[in-house]
Amino acid sequence: MTVSYGAGTAIDGVSFDVARGEFVTFIGPNGAGKTTLLNSLMGVLQQNSGSVTFNGEELKALRPEARVARGIVIVPERRELFPGLSVEDHLRLGAFLLRGRGRAAMTAALERIYELLPKLGERRRQLAGTLSGGEQQMVAVGRALMAEPQLLMLDEPSTGLAPRVTEEIFEAIDRLKADGMTGILVEQNAHLALSVADRGFVLEVGSVVAFGPAQELRNDPRVLAAYIGGGDRYRDTGASGI
Amino acid sequence: MIDTALFLLVDGLTNGLVYALLALSLVLVFTVTRVVNIAQGEYVMLGALTLADLLQGRMPGTLYLLIGGLTLCVVLDGSRWRRDWRQALLVVLGAVAAAAFAVAITRGALWLKLPVIGMMAVALMLVAPLGVLIYRFTVHPIPNASTIVFVIISVGVSMSVQGLGLLIWGASPYAVDPIMPGGVMMGPVFIPYQSFAILITALLSMGGLYLFSEFTLVGKALQASAMNRRGAQFCGIPVTAAGALAFLLAAAFSAISGMLLAPLITANYEMGFMVGLKGFVGGAMGGLIDYPLSLAGVMIVGALESTSAYVASAYRDAIVFSLLIPILLWRSSRQRVEGH
Repeated sequence: MTVSYGAGTAIDGVSFDVARGEFVTFIGPNGAGKTTLLNSLMGVLQQNSGSVTFNGEELKALRPEARVARGIVIVPERRELFPGLSVEDHLRLGAFLLRGRGRAAMTAALERIYELLPKLGERRRQLAGTLSGGEQQMVAVGRALMAEPQLLMLDEPSTGLAPRVTEEIFEAIDRLKADGMTGILVEQNAHLALSVADRGFVLEVGSVVAFGPAQELRNDPRVLAAYIGGGDRYRDTGASGI
Repeated sequence: MIDTALFLLVDGLTNGLVYALLALSLVLVFTVTRVVNIAQGEYVMLGALTLADLLQGRMPGTLYLLIGGLTLCVVLDGSRWRRDWRQALLVVLGAVAAAAFAVAITRGALWLKLPVIGMMAVALMLVAPLGVLIYRFTVHPIPNASTIVFVIISVGVSMSVQGLGLLIWGASPYAVDPIMPGGVMMGPVFIPYQSFAILITALLSMGGLYLFSEFTLVGKALQASAMNRRGAQFCGIPVTAAGALAFLLAAAFSAISGMLLAPLITANYEMGFMVGLKGFVGGAMGGLIDYPLSLAGVMIVGALESTSAYVASAYRDAIVFSLLIPILLWRSSRQRVEGH
């Protein structure tokens, strides 16, 4: 998969590829263009130039729902849940395009999700609008997984969550990765992101300033100085903004 | 005195139920597509006049609208010819098949001289698809337009459809047979059977919509599209198709409303606008998003209408529409309370 495009000043000539079964991460401060990157991969934003190829197919004009049909699924930063619907409804709707497979397949898929994220099983009848932030994030993850993604994109899954909840969600991501899931993870929390990903890209004002295997990036003094140390500062300002 | 009050109450509730179907349509369309559909009442007119034609043994003029709309659809999608001829061929074949099917069922129904209820079903099949066509022409090309743009477009649609109605049916009113003539004395009040028919049809329609949205995945998808359009897209729900479905169902409910209403008044080309506005006043009580409050609203509108028709008939519509002012004041005060 190759991506290279320039959406105004938000993203400037970024190019990368993800192999099947690989987890890559984009880290960087607020406003670096991380969410913009995922949104344009999802087809929410139109890129001005460049191309996105997925499984050999050019995605240029496809709408988000058509991209989901091809196996590209996002866990959006703002979760985008349906406040008046129950947890289980969300999961069923996540598999909307697979609804032709029958009741048994749907039940089996639901069971898998409840095993991965037990909290959701406990809350299956509860309306999404009444859940805590962490539970809502789990619903967003569960809903995305129900679509059986070939490429899972996670946008800031740790934003605004208590450390313990973040840990739970990242454990789930770890297990998905171990099962061979391909993914793109966007995070402000560089340390956390690099601990799950295979490769990392450091994004700053719309450009990649450093990239490499996650292990190396973790020990890269430049990244440490710029983002792990600075990351906390950004996170603090981010938190007060929420 | 009691007799009069009871009579007015029955009359008011009957009107309220007719408007309820309309308010249901308005809420459905608004929540899924954010269109405040001023033109919703025109389906009432189309339903009533189509039924009038069928009952008098004529091919309904609605077929012109349907076939004309399908033709326009083919022309608009004509640009696909070069890019994707298979898709284009499917569109053309689909349109031709739909038109042929519409003509066939109409001819069949006229030949069989179906009873009123059968003719209503045929009329429904002719009018409801017009909702999808109008969605295709007006909302589909500009899904992200602002609410005010959609309001203005729907006013345009309302005027155009009314004009087409005048062109096809002329200005004269048409009498429409009730589902069952006659009525029954219940205590001191005479209740026509048509009122029962209205009650049953309205309850069945609302119950049907409820079951559909609560117990089917497609119904849930429609709700999801109404609650969070982007979230629905991320589930792979085709939101444009959800909008078309909302327009289809809304057109169906409004057409049913017109067919039930027509025997009580008479059907004519400009009946829709007034009925549409009254449904709107009721729907405004629920902010066009809340079904139960909207239903309460239309019942108040119905009761107020029949009472004012009795007390001060010349001011009937003025009284009903002035209800909009306290409703909007109440809603905005409620919003302010919720905001704090």
